Amino acid sequence: MKRAGWYVIAGFAAGFAGMAGLHGMGAAAPAALRQPKSASTGASAVPSAPARTTGPAARAGSSGPVRTATGIVEQYGYGELAVTVTARGNQITSVSVPLLRTAEPYSQQLAQQVIPMLRAEVLAAHGAQIHGVSGATYTSVAYAQSIQSALDKLHIK
Amino acid sequence: MVAARSRRGGKRQSARTEPHRPRPALLRAGLVLAGAGLGAVTALAITDETGAELRAPGGVMTFLGSLTGLVGTYLALLMVLLVSRIPAIERVLGQDGLLRWHRRLAPWPISLLLAHALFITVGYAQAARAGLGRQVAVLLTRYPDVLIATVGLGIMCAIGAISIRAIRRRLRRETWWLVHLYMYLALALSFAHVLALGPSFVSHPLTQIVWSVAWAATAGLVLCYRFGLPVVRSLRHRLVVHEVRREGPGVVSVICSGRRLDKLAIAGGQFFLWRFLTRSMWWQAHPYTMSARPQPPYVRLTVKAVGDHSAAVARLRPGTRIVIEGPYGAFTRFAQQRPQVLLVAAGIGVTALRSLLEDLPRNSAPVVVLRGTGPEDLVLRTEVAELVRHRRGRLHELVGPREQARLDERSLQRLVPDLHRRDIYVCGPEGFVTSIVEAAARLGLSSEAVHHEAYAL
Repeated sequence: MKRAGWYVIAGFAAGFAGMAGLHGMGAAAPAALRQPKSASTGASAVPSAPARTTGPAARAGSSGPVRTATGIVEQYGYGELAVTVTARGNQITSVSVPLLRTAEPYSQQLAQQVIPMLRAEVLAAHGAQIHGVSGATYTSVAYAQSIQSALDKLHIK
Repeated sequence: MVAARSRRGGKRQSARTEPHRPRPALLRAGLVLAGAGLGAVTALAITDETGAELRAPGGVMTFLGSLTGLVGTYLALLMVLLVSRIPAIERVLGQDGLLRWHRRLAPWPISLLLAHALFITVGYAQAARAGLGRQVAVLLTRYPDVLIATVGLGIMCAIGAISIRAIRRRLRRETWWLVHLYMYLALALSFAHVLALGPSFVSHPLTQIVWSVAWAATAGLVLCYRFGLPVVRSLRHRLVVHEVRREGPGVVSVICSGRRLDKLAIAGGQFFLWRFLTRSMWWQAHPYTMSARPQPPYVRLTVKAVGDHSAAVARLRPGTRIVIEGPYGAFTRFAQQRPQVLLVAAGIGVTALRSLLEDLPRNSAPVVVLRGTGPEDLVLRTEVAELVRHRRGRLHELVGPREQARLDERSLQRLVPDLHRRDIYVCGPEGFVTSIVEAAARLGLSSEAVHHEAYAL
């Protein structure tokens, strides 16, 4: 076959451009962080307690009783996690991850590297509106989702 | 010749199913499609990567690992497609053309997948700041589906190793072929870990679906064309051995009878894989050329005893049932580019040439060269002479040891002065075919006009 190579190269260029274009559209904005798909599950796989709220309803300001809530267990591609938020009034005072399970060790390492960064973001932003950590998009999305559900339980906006 | 006469006239001729004409455009479309797939998987691996991931410990290695893994697996899929005998592609390239590409490209997927395993191991070890040995153990025991994928890779490498020429030559063809089939198992074993762990697949339902569909479709094509079609065709034509006739020293013709052979769309020069259903031969299929176009209810193949199988063919009993796979081969009149042809055959290679001759029109003035060490090697020579005479062609018989009756540039030019107006069709043992193809190249003939079919022992 004459010029077989050229046909393959032409196809390669088209396929590459097509796939890169498709991907570009999906990833242009941190879309995953803005419109995350919730994939929460029942409590079967959850060792820690599902959502629980302590204390009375929220009051404005940073005064008031200390309340704690754990968000829903978020499953992401490589594992699942849940985030616990502690707040005094409407002020988030601490964030922790009582549940982290991954499919394999690599994701575990990655999550452990990333979770402190995400916590810092949340504390800085006073809420779930975080940018996430690039290179750990799934973990970031799951983290933000779980935080949001915890905040909802605490009626913190 | 009876065959020639029946071709020309009568009702039977009009009812005969004509062979399909090869369409090179389909091959070009296939090439573009294959390239597009390669581009898409490469882009998939690259666009999934971010700068932060690359800068992280082990990031570069892990990226190279997923790139080589994706591209290698995709190439493995193409290797399977190359041997799946898709008729539209086979007609253009021929079975031996497909196998040549398969053989030439096969080292790539195997080495890329091996590289994938190494890169990933090193990358993960760097990320975990662990030793390589420790990391291997972790990968095998704690990552889903990695253990069986590693077994698959092991099988793949073993098959790759025995396919290296020097080693393959020491193996019996049947042994090698049977072991080679385990490649399908190896690919199946490695499928799951791609979906479970591949960064382009986890949480990407679309790529998961596309990938699975591509593999399922490939498996479907293999089942359909390597298994389904031969079974259907064999049941339709019900070939049985009718008679085994001695043609010369070690050469026999097998006349087979069957039903509806006028519907068997075969061009002269094509071959079938024959599976004779006897106790010792049922499990292997061998390529033998039809030495004449079918004359319903008979077809004929002519075989020289060069191996266990071809020797056993001579002992076939009438009534033995036959399963056929094919027809295969691009060594047909459709390949012809120029107004006339030169047909060259050595030894038993005459069979393809003999049936090809039948397809040539009257007055096509073919030049035919038959080569043999002794006169008894020129099997079917009277039939060939008759066919050549009918077409107002010339027949040259070159008999003698290789050194005395040489067939090189000079003798070719002397025998065929108008060589540049002719396509060359060569059929014979591999060494012979190569020498003619090289001679033609040295004479400045375009490779598009040189067609060859070599038979291996």
